[in-house]
Amino acid sequence: MIVSRISRFISDYQNLVALFAGACILISLFGILSLPLAYEENQIYPKAIDRTSALDPYDRGGTPFNTTTVVAQYPENSPYLGYVTAYLTPLSKYLADHTLHAGTTIVSHPGGIIDEILYNTRGLDTVVETSILLSAFAIASYLFRRTE
Amino acid sequence: MIPEYSLGLFAAFATAAVAFYALVRETDDLHRLLLTDLVEIVTLAFIALVGTDLAEALILPGLVVGISELIALSEIYRVKEGHIHPPRKGLRIEVMDSAPLIMAAILVGYGIVLSGFPGGAIAGVGVIFYFICRGQHERFELIETASGYSWVLWIVAFFTFMLFPQYWFCAVMLAGGAILVKVMAKMSLIGAMRGGPNA
Amino acid sequence: MLSIGGQDLFVLEFGDILHYFSPYTLTLFLLAVLFTGLAIISRPEEQIEIAFGGDAYYAKETTLPEMRFRRFMAIACGLASIGAMVSGDLFNYTLFTSMVGITNVGIVAAVKNRHVLNAAYAYGIVAMIATLPLFGSAALIVATTGTLSIPALAAGGQAVPLVGKALLVLGVVGEGMAPFYAAKAEMFRAPGAPYVIMCSLSSLLIFLRVVEIVTTI
Repeated sequence: MIVSRISRFISDYQNLVALFAGACILISLFGILSLPLAYEENQIYPKAIDRTSALDPYDRGGTPFNTTTVVAQYPENSPYLGYVTAYLTPLSKYLADHTLHAGTTIVSHPGGIIDEILYNTRGLDTVVETSILLSAFAIASYLFRRTE
Repeated sequence: MIPEYSLGLFAAFATAAVAFYALVRETDDLHRLLLTDLVEIVTLAFIALVGTDLAEALILPGLVVGISELIALSEIYRVKEGHIHPPRKGLRIEVMDSAPLIMAAILVGYGIVLSGFPGGAIAGVGVIFYFICRGQHERFELIETASGYSWVLWIVAFFTFMLFPQYWFCAVMLAGGAILVKVMAKMSLIGAMRGGPNA
Repeated sequence: MLSIGGQDLFVLEFGDILHYFSPYTLTLFLLAVLFTGLAIISRPEEQIEIAFGGDAYYAKETTLPEMRFRRFMAIACGLASIGAMVSGDLFNYTLFTSMVGITNVGIVAAVKNRHVLNAAYAYGIVAMIATLPLFGSAALIVATTGTLSIPALAAGGQAVPLVGKALLVLGVVGEGMAPFYAAKAEMFRAPGAPYVIMCSLSSLLIFLRVVEIVTTI
């Protein structure tokens, strides 16, 4: 009796979103119950805030075409990691030298900031991510262009 | 004193529970699609709570996955509901006749200077503004081809990083430029696919 | 902790992201390669429907663009499964899993049938909200242990919180829900059958892999 009611509920795919969301609510409540969780202080790619730096809050150390220290997971796999981190484009270098506002604009010029993570050490993440974008876009454009 | 991270997690889990509860209650398809945004934002909150440079790097994939799934799903929704005719007329105000070219030029120029993901997003906003004001003349084939080639360039840059790390500078420039074109091409089509008989 | 993966045979390194081939992951990897190969070479089946109680029958046509699109999606799904099978990084695994989810939506969404599209839409919503448990678990684990690498988590003494593992499993369940919808919407009867099989296979493979991950870390 109860089994047939459950199976009838599950068999309607309109209900599966609600079912999955319900499971997520349970896990969220379980997450609240399992608090407090200790934060590990020994992180990879830690963030250092230096309020006096011109590049604050994105100061990662080093000068262009020189290396700097980066706490990567496997630094031996990316020997030139520090160089990628320290590089600044001429424009962002100019901003950093003459103003204190380089960190307030979206300065994501090649190199510096987080590029060595995005492109270099965790580059595969970005490869997969752009592939997701590609397939999602392929779905949308296929449906869009299909003549009804 | 409650540790900061646990406090943040409490807020994130509580918001997640609220967002999922909304999804349990909602049965309308379109509203469900809108509510997924609520869930996506909590996802970003979880990543941001890590608070390191790594978290900043991981937010971008998290964001892009959400956006791209939204593109695909909204198109499926449009087809399944049979909305094949474009809206008859959109907003027409004077600024839309005078501004598009210069605004698009400024935004695309600034996006190219920035390069990378944010650059692509800014340039994409410029292009989408131009499309909205100047009507439906996008050439899907061209944009798709451009983004396909930039994807290949990006893969080339990735393997340069992995196999020839001494050419890191070349790879950084290649990757930044390729991601710019790719993200711009995709962003510029959001909202431009309105359907239509001869699309 | 119980290890079902076995000894590492070979490790492929991409910066911080390792791909490790243990007997377990290698087996899954070869399966994924095999099925991707089958998706590339197989041709869509031509279906014949017989009108009940009469002599009439009619063939369902699969148009060339639809066939090409679904084959593309099936191959992309296969490649994502291949990546997910050997990835040694939690966040990378979650990304590959999301890609399996979105390509599964693509495979079923290409069918021109309102019933199937409804199911694809419902599955897409689940796949989309499943990114919260997936990315949430990766973020929770990196915050509490300080690393994302599965070998480092297996070797290190850091305790991975149970809720992190639970979120990961729930996320993979959400992304791999396609077979439920496929079975319900009778998509296996929709034209172009071999590509729809890829949904079930990729879900099965990511389920098998998440078991290995959860018992290893």
